[in-house]
Amino acid sequence: MTELGAIVADARERLVARARREGLETVGYRIIDSPLGPLWVAVGPRGVLSIHYGAEPSPLELRRIVRAYGPGVLPDARRVDDVARELDQYWSGKRHEFDVAVDLSPLTPFQRKVLAVTSRVPYGELITYAKVAHRAGNDRAYRAAAGAIGDNPIPIVVPCHRVVASDGTLGGYAGGLDAKRHLLKLERGAAVPPGGWPPAHLSRS
Amino acid sequence: MTHPTTFGDLLEQHEREIYAYALRLTGDRDDADDVYQDTFLAAFRAWPPPRRGAERAWLYRIATNKAIDRGRRAKKFVRLGDLPIAAPERDGVSLADLATAVKTLPTGQRAAFVLRKVQGLSYAEVSHALECSEEAARSRVAEAMKKVKEAMR
Repeated sequence: MTELGAIVADARERLVARARREGLETVGYRIIDSPLGPLWVAVGPRGVLSIHYGAEPSPLELRRIVRAYGPGVLPDARRVDDVARELDQYWSGKRHEFDVAVDLSPLTPFQRKVLAVTSRVPYGELITYAKVAHRAGNDRAYRAAAGAIGDNPIPIVVPCHRVVASDGTLGGYAGGLDAKRHLLKLERGAAVPPGGWPPAHLSRS
Repeated sequence: MTHPTTFGDLLEQHEREIYAYALRLTGDRDDADDVYQDTFLAAFRAWPPPRRGAERAWLYRIATNKAIDRGRRAKKFVRLGDLPIAAPERDGVSLADLATAVKTLPTGQRAAFVLRKVQGLSYAEVSHALECSEEAARSRVAEAMKKVKEAMR
């Protein structure tokens, strides 16, 4: 970083702290490194709002945040510290559950219900899209459930990577199937078999 | 450059040049820091920014007004120690020119000089930042240039 760049970075920290004190900042974000590449992470007044694969959020994601919390979305490393620390522990295998609060309030009631079910799937276990729909109270809505899981704004912490198709194949993943394989290998200690897992591996309850 | 959706977009797109501008106007890091902070906080409070593409000149206008306000309140002596951090990156303007401008010109005229000759704004943008006609902006810049040249003789 140039001397001017470093000075501006310092000045920015003070500016963001003032904006926070004056109630102008509603959401803080930061780009964090991960074994799956950079993640854009945003934290709002009620908890983690977004973990986006890549260094920039999608315009859709940003509009969703701005609709819920206004334009006060600022780069703020400090606000992201807690979730960044928990993610580090997760990547090193030391954390199996996240303690940080998540904020699903900008989503529809059905999306919230589906993601609440997804959040309860334990570390290393698998569940099918159909089973998530069932637990969310609507057996027939498995496509809609799959849609809600695909749009999960807080992957990893809300572990949508643990949701697979009924035949044991991986289904989809916002971060790409390689990312999903990486997460499942980390949690289950073994590479995803070609063609996925036999249905016997999937949660039956 | 995309139209900012959030404060963060506005900040990330323009903070560096606005900070450099503030430093070139004041010659002092602490003063520049205040102008930079006051500018962006005012912009956040006045959200949303003006029409697409005009937000840069809008920020320069706020920064210029903040610097002029500070100039009125500030001490009379000028410190130039931090100016080299934002040494001009343009042909035809040297650090010595800029230091002379900071020492000899009142803040408003200095702003005209820096906006056009160092920041490289068009006269339309300078006129927007200084809240005057384009013709007036041209004459302010010319006047400022003349004074800087005279002072350097």
